[in-house]
Amino acid sequence: MNDNSSLKAALSRRTVLKATAAAAAGAGGMVPGLQSAVWAQGSDKPEKEEVRIGFIPLTDCASVVMASVLGFDRKYGVKIVPTKETSWAGVRDKLVNGELDMAHVLYGLIYGVHLGVSGPKKDMAVLMSLNNNGQAITLSKKLADKGAVDGASLAKVMAADRRDYTFAQTFPTGTHAMWLYYWLASAGINPFKDAKVITVPPPQMVANMRVGNMDGFCVGEPWNHRAIMDGIGITAVTSQEVWKDHPEKTLGTTADFVRKYPNTCRAVIAAVLEASKWIDAGLQNKLKMAETVAAKSYINTSVDAINQRILGRYQNGLGKTWDDPNHMKFFNDGAVNFPYLSDGMWFLTQHKRWGLIKEHPDYLAVARQVNQIDLYKEAAAAAKVSVPTQVMRSSKLIDGVVWDGKDPAKYADGFKVKVG
Amino acid sequence: MAPTPASSLRIVIVAPETLNPDPSDVEAGWEAERSRSLRIGLLQGGYDVVAVLPADVFLPDRLAQIQPDMIIVDAESQARDTLEHVVVATRDARRPIVLFTDDDDTSHVKDAIAAGVTVYVVAGLAPERIKPVLDVALARFQHEEALRRELAKTRTQLQDRKLVERAKGILMKRYGCDEQQAYERLRKAAMDKGLRIAEVAQRLIDVADVIG
Repeated sequence: MNDNSSLKAALSRRTVLKATAAAAAGAGGMVPGLQSAVWAQGSDKPEKEEVRIGFIPLTDCASVVMASVLGFDRKYGVKIVPTKETSWAGVRDKLVNGELDMAHVLYGLIYGVHLGVSGPKKDMAVLMSLNNNGQAITLSKKLADKGAVDGASLAKVMAADRRDYTFAQTFPTGTHAMWLYYWLASAGINPFKDAKVITVPPPQMVANMRVGNMDGFCVGEPWNHRAIMDGIGITAVTSQEVWKDHPEKTLGTTADFVRKYPNTCRAVIAAVLEASKWIDAGLQNKLKMAETVAAKSYINTSVDAINQRILGRYQNGLGKTWDDPNHMKFFNDGAVNFPYLSDGMWFLTQHKRWGLIKEHPDYLAVARQVNQIDLYKEAAAAAKVSVPTQVMRSSKLIDGVVWDGKDPAKYADGFKVKVG
Repeated sequence: MAPTPASSLRIVIVAPETLNPDPSDVEAGWEAERSRSLRIGLLQGGYDVVAVLPADVFLPDRLAQIQPDMIIVDAESQARDTLEHVVVATRDARRPIVLFTDDDDTSHVKDAIAAGVTVYVVAGLAPERIKPVLDVALARFQHEEALRRELAKTRTQLQDRKLVERAKGILMKRYGCDEQQAYERLRKAAMDKGLRIAEVAQRLIDVADVIG
């Protein structure tokens, strides 16, 4: 059986079905349930209907959870089973051994596994990006009392009062490690020479800072806000200040799963897209989402710890408050969810910068392999979500350096502060 | 008990902090029981359990001090990510990490081992069954390490050969010499400087890039 030709045939049938659906929707307006009828009867029928999706208790697991809670999954003929996980290493192992079908997972982790940075090397896939923004770096209240409230003042305090400074992130190849390192480096602090970096699970960050085990950490919400509520830390910088609209969590799976169950992948992407759209649609939805994910079965925290920053209401713990237009976004008219190749490549450049990979990979080829752009486009069409025309995007990060996906090797080597 | 070869294997267990959990917390009680039976099993198997460490931020430091031959941890613990840091930091001196998990679907365990994931072992084993399981885990790890080293060596050799080929090319073009002479020049320079031929080749290529 030639996989390629049968896939092509399936795709062309898809196009016909999509056209029919669009025509019907155009004639009769949005007909609830129509889409599911189309997906169910044609060749688009998900090959695997029950999909186990792992998540870590963090605010940004919301779109996966809401897709299941609000029933967007059923609309596309799948049933999402959100599965709470305790560690990123556990998520990785369960993706690799097939115990989980997909996961809410750190962008950098997927690339780390694909390149075999630690332990198993396995071809991985990014189906879509789940959110932008909404992480932060917290410094201990003790450090803040000495004047360290941002990158520059932290560098000064560290130079004046020499001792071991300990900073925590959540996973060696993950996003928080990269935001932390990038920010420290932008202030002239080499995370590997001038500081000690450790990995700590998100729910343990605040407790560890309280007993003085660390000077700073980078983690997703609600834990930075929680540190302020508990009076033990301040927000030195938000991740959106490090990189406005940065990629964060992805819907990740293995390349094997994509090959075996492409229709299931499309269905899940479409369902999560609808949930993302729903969350970003307004205040009421966000509050409802915060209430849902705060529950014991998901994040297990108070709603108060989540809803402030979800709505963009920030305080830094030193009396400053602001409305942040670049708060955590789940949809932003689809701009959040497109798996830009340049986003994936960025993590590779940072893995190289910090010595996690020894050689320059073929950045573009790896990103093309991992980020499932075609699959995403088809699912976005089904969910009527607009898709950007470019596969790369350009951003200026906190140090003023522009990243646009062109010449990644030069970009990776161009940083003054790095390993090696 | 008669000494076994296993007795030389130094093991660190990463476990929940308390063996006397809150009596109302059924799950914690069960975990403590499991942890206890695991330790008994290891001791009966003749293993040297050098430490039982809590999964806190000091774990990496303590592991660095103790340098155990094997680490045993609860698979469902948040300590996994802290250990991951140790794994990445000590990539060149790897040691097996064995995870005791609640998942009794043996096919998952088998898949995990086949995929080269740190070994998963189903929890709740009778103490006398722990030793054979760990022996298999260790043998598996050593086998994989051997393969990994072999692969790394082959990769380096291939990389070295490419460098030498390029350097020879540069010499041949510049001095109009043949391949054998170019190689001899490289070899002499390597011997004079006490470097590997590939290192000399790399330097030559770097310099040629600058000079053009």
